[in-house]
Amino acid sequence: MNLKAIYKYGSPPNFYRFVTKVEPWCLYFGLLLILIGSAGGLFMAPEDYQMGDAFRIIYFHVPSAYLSMSAYATMGFASIIGIVWRSNVAFSVAKSVAPFGALMTATALVTGMLWGKPMWGTAWVWDARLTSEFILLLLYLGYITLHASIKEQKRADRAASLVAILGIINLPIIHYSVVWWNTLHQASTISKLDSPSIVGEMLWPLLVMIFGYMFFFVAVICRASSAEVLVREKRSNWVKEI
Amino acid sequence: MAAYFQLFFRETKVAIKRWTDVLTGIILFFLIAILFPLISDSNKDFLLSIVGPIMMFSAFFASLLSMQNMFKPDFQNGTIEQLMLSKKSFVGLVFTKTFSFWVFTSLPLIVVSGFIASIYFVTGKDILIVQLTMFLSTLTMVNINAFTAAITLGIRYPGALMTLIITPITLPILIFGSKAIENSILGLDISGPLYFLTGMMMLSLFIGPWITASALKISMD
Repeated sequence: MNLKAIYKYGSPPNFYRFVTKVEPWCLYFGLLLILIGSAGGLFMAPEDYQMGDAFRIIYFHVPSAYLSMSAYATMGFASIIGIVWRSNVAFSVAKSVAPFGALMTATALVTGMLWGKPMWGTAWVWDARLTSEFILLLLYLGYITLHASIKEQKRADRAASLVAILGIINLPIIHYSVVWWNTLHQASTISKLDSPSIVGEMLWPLLVMIFGYMFFFVAVICRASSAEVLVREKRSNWVKEI
Repeated sequence: MAAYFQLFFRETKVAIKRWTDVLTGIILFFLIAILFPLISDSNKDFLLSIVGPIMMFSAFFASLLSMQNMFKPDFQNGTIEQLMLSKKSFVGLVFTKTFSFWVFTSLPLIVVSGFIASIYFVTGKDILIVQLTMFLSTLTMVNINAFTAAITLGIRYPGALMTLIITPITLPILIFGSKAIENSILGLDISGPLYFLTGMMMLSLFIGPWITASALKISMD
């Protein structure tokens, strides 16, 4: 891995410049992809032969579930970098990912429940994926509340990062321990790359939506973390020049 | 080595002085376990089917109650700071402290759990399995609790926050602990859950003191 990149973008002014340059591209591209994806998913894709039109919620459910997990990975990775290099930038990235990740987790849970009510007959089942998603929400909330309840900035950063790292170690363990129950949730449909069990007309809007969500996520993180960096560096000269 | 023993003896004295803290955990554990048959149903099959979850559940809550005093008094009177300044490895001292905390709060629970298992109509070898499961899971839990207690030291009312941090981390242990007891009562193979619990115990004993020590250092500055 190239450590130089970490040192270069670990410095707040460089990070700020880079991020503000990247953000609009990601934002507009992401919004465009989300528009295309929703149009494709809501109007063009054919009806499911079992679920009818109700399956279309998949175009919002799956991307947010994907993002809820990758956001946690991002948060954990940023926390590790922050702890190892004492990097203020990494801490502010981790802090700004957390609320968005919690929001995505909540969205995945709510859309899943809305989908489950007509399909399974109940909004909630004690199924492996639902439960581990809920636990993920608890982990996010723990991070956010811990960060909020310690007054001093540096201490809050490092303490909350330790919790995030412990969560990263624990997440696979939690997932596999919860999988021990019988699973009602359908097996994932698109991870089997060679023979996906979903037709192409239904698949492409889903992929477009996932990428759209990702770009939008990056844009949001850029915006939030650049604001966070500005707040933290408000006494330094380069901020005053802006 | 002498320093670690000295710390252990000191913790023993403190535990004897604060005997109410030690007793609270045991009483809570006992009460939760006793209340369940009273308020739900006391027939034998039902009790045998819930004894695993009840054990884990009451151990979890008993540890939640007692852990608030794990580092707090010593943090306030400066003992932790002195330990940090000593030449001995701080990680080792933290390990000693966590271990002695386990001895005074969880070891009694293991003894009591045999009795509770017998009033839930668990018999013979299964009682030993219950105690073994309790041993493995409390030794894991005490490390998780130590970390959480250390990280929330500077916060004035940490109760709800502690629960929020602890619950997701402890969940696998609760699941596998009750699985082990359940399987043993049903006569199934218990090696799977026990292997998992042992692995988690080793993992927590290995990384627990390190991460707790760094959490204490964070709370200190």
